[in-house]
Amino acid sequence: MLELQSISKRFPGVRALDDVSLSFQPGQIHALVGENGAGKSTLLKIITGIYQPDAGRMLFDGAPLRVRNCRDCLDRGIGLVHQEIQVVAEASVAENIMLDKLDAFSRWGRLDWPRLADQARAAMARVGLDIDPQAPIGNLSAAHKQLVQIARVLSAEARVLLLDEPTSSLTEHEAARLFGILRQLQEACVAIVFVSHKFDEVYQIGDQVSVLRDGRHVGTRELAGLPRAELIEMMIGRRAETASFGMPVVNRAREVLRVEELYAPDRAHEVSFSLYAGEILGLYGLVGAGRTELARLLVGAEQAERGAVYIHGTKARIGSVADSLYKYSMGYVTENRKEEGLLLESAVRTNLGITIWERIVGKFTRRIDDRAETQAAQALVAALDIRTTGLEQEVNHLSGGNQQKVSLGKWLAAGCDILIVDEPTVGVDIQAKAQIHRLLWDLAAKEGKAIILISSDMPEIIGLAGRILVFKDKQIVHEIAEIHEQGLSYDEVSRRIGLHLN
Amino acid sequence: MEYLRRLMRHNDAGIALSAGLLFVGCALSSESFLSAYNLFNISRIVAFSVLVALAQALVLVAGGMNLSVGAIGGLATITTGYCIQVLGLPGWLAALVALGIGSVAGWVNGVIITRLQINSFIATLATLFVFTGLVHGFSEGYAYTDIPREFTFLGRQKFLGLSNLFWTMGLVLLATHYAFRHTVFGRRLLATGGNQEAARLAGINTDRMILLSHVLSGGVGALAAVLWVSRMGSAQPATGKDWLITSFAVAIVGGTGLAGGRISALGLLLGAVIIVLIKNGLVMLEANVYYEQAFLGSIILLAVVVSRVRDLYGGRGGG
Repeated sequence: MLELQSISKRFPGVRALDDVSLSFQPGQIHALVGENGAGKSTLLKIITGIYQPDAGRMLFDGAPLRVRNCRDCLDRGIGLVHQEIQVVAEASVAENIMLDKLDAFSRWGRLDWPRLADQARAAMARVGLDIDPQAPIGNLSAAHKQLVQIARVLSAEARVLLLDEPTSSLTEHEAARLFGILRQLQEACVAIVFVSHKFDEVYQIGDQVSVLRDGRHVGTRELAGLPRAELIEMMIGRRAETASFGMPVVNRAREVLRVEELYAPDRAHEVSFSLYAGEILGLYGLVGAGRTELARLLVGAEQAERGAVYIHGTKARIGSVADSLYKYSMGYVTENRKEEGLLLESAVRTNLGITIWERIVGKFTRRIDDRAETQAAQALVAALDIRTTGLEQEVNHLSGGNQQKVSLGKWLAAGCDILIVDEPTVGVDIQAKAQIHRLLWDLAAKEGKAIILISSDMPEIIGLAGRILVFKDKQIVHEIAEIHEQGLSYDEVSRRIGLHLN
Repeated sequence: MEYLRRLMRHNDAGIALSAGLLFVGCALSSESFLSAYNLFNISRIVAFSVLVALAQALVLVAGGMNLSVGAIGGLATITTGYCIQVLGLPGWLAALVALGIGSVAGWVNGVIITRLQINSFIATLATLFVFTGLVHGFSEGYAYTDIPREFTFLGRQKFLGLSNLFWTMGLVLLATHYAFRHTVFGRRLLATGGNQEAARLAGINTDRMILLSHVLSGGVGALAAVLWVSRMGSAQPATGKDWLITSFAVAIVGGTGLAGGRISALGLLLGAVIIVLIKNGLVMLEANVYYEQAFLGSIILLAVVVSRVRDLYGGRGGG
């Protein structure tokens, strides 16, 4: 019914979708899975006209489909339910359902409330909701709001329903209810596309599954009878292209960080581990497993409820990122460089220098040494091979890979003993990726820094980390140690990780 | 075209050009414009406008805004008057107390914003009324007119043909330029305004930065008030009522981004020249002064549109 043919989309410095062809059939629930940055949301955005593809075309009922915006898309019967709940909290349930077509209920500019309520009730009936259409939506539970969003899309006579992680804000019970409704819709011959990070769900509800990886379509399978291990393998890949860097030089005698039973609700559940000088410790897990949450707790961006953190053997009190950086020499390269990592409208020089100002300032004049800043920035630009027209260029104008290098470079300048690096190569081109890998390796092996590498990129984490902690539901569920010492193969490590993700 | 584009991207160049054109226009259209007295007078108003705008810009640069800037000015004004007339304190001490009160008022704003996590618009809207109420209540609407002659030294005397007010402002602007160009504090404040979350995760205590920006804003607002008392020779409780629009107009025309993270000391000076010349020009053209706010409002709008156009076509957008 809806067919994508050879869709490609590039963003500066990265190929978000590369020749992706998929087709969705009425009465089928089609799961779409893949790691962060695999291209799932880009794909949904292309189907709904938020992005335009660079190449390829879409067919709807056999005819070419061109959508310019969400309105177009709804008119043709394709509805998208966003991951985040988007409702007008102060308005009534009925208004929220009919938000996009309130025009149809107006007579001389006056809303026909009874008719609006009737239609809303009918729409709600389709998703099994029985609530007063006049009630303000703000008081409803997350699940009800999610259902209202689905009702809104369905009331537009959607024949294709796209759901982007619809259960991320629902409890298990609520999710089960949603699935019941999806099955009814399936019987009503709606084509359903379902993006999810949760395998249990995918198996519970899906008919087929398509896997995206690095913007490419890896394959589509019938879910019935598909072993989980195979699905995981499709997702995380078994590329042999990981460069081997040799043997790490870990100094077991120097424990730089020890975390003991760290606990914060919904962030970390009794997490304990140690980190040694010269070590690259990998944290692997699916999205939402609790790795970024742990990182933010460690650097003081968030506070834990219980547990202790020891740095170089002494108990650390980290109240803010400033404490982490200046007292304990521990830095955090954020996953989300645009929102959390960079001053986009500032110069490359400023972005690279921000963590060292305190060190290069005159005692009495309080003046930052321009020359020292320039030298530090130039050294980083050279070392990281940052492609820029000059130190004064705004980071806005750099490509994704170069932005990531700046984000990383800032922390290299800080000279941290402990560096937490969160998804360092998402949205980065292959060449920059290789450079970043080499750099992280050298930091640990040559300079004896301790690195925590958070990554969902299996080849990356297995190539770099000598030890991997597997996270699930905010806990460490497995540890794979001595990967290099025992010479564990890529297949062996990925198999063991896969076992514990289920 | 490329040249024009580069010129457009350089903020201060466009502002300087506009200020220069306005100056020439005023000089050509009125004989009295270039008279020593008029220039002296303009230099005083420019100086005063710069300080009022700086009080706003210090907060804008950190990503906030201060609607209570005029009310803080009012507080500092009556503090000065009360200290001199009622308590009989020497002028310099009265001025110091006023600066202290202004800074404390700014600190209150900062604490509300950072501790209670209330956005600066709402917080300073509320304190605008609180401070104004305090001014009216305390002064009961009466001005303090018993200000000694020595106190008017800064406001009425001149040095090398320019008013002492102007030199004071010059020093403050130099300090501002130095702080934002060269010091850790200034650049951290810019970083906080540029991207608060990124700044926080880069080890900057962003709450402290925002708090300090408000303390400084209050202090500079109080300085403007003290100078105004010095110029008028009396402390009027109504001082500050018209500051808000001036502070935004000058700051925005002067290239301090509403989104934070950008400030230029020279821009503030040029922005003040533009606004003051336009006001001056309106008087010379015998325009109805009751429409003045409409003109200022339109200029703010124009400045925002120009900066938006610059963002779109000057190569800032996208990446």
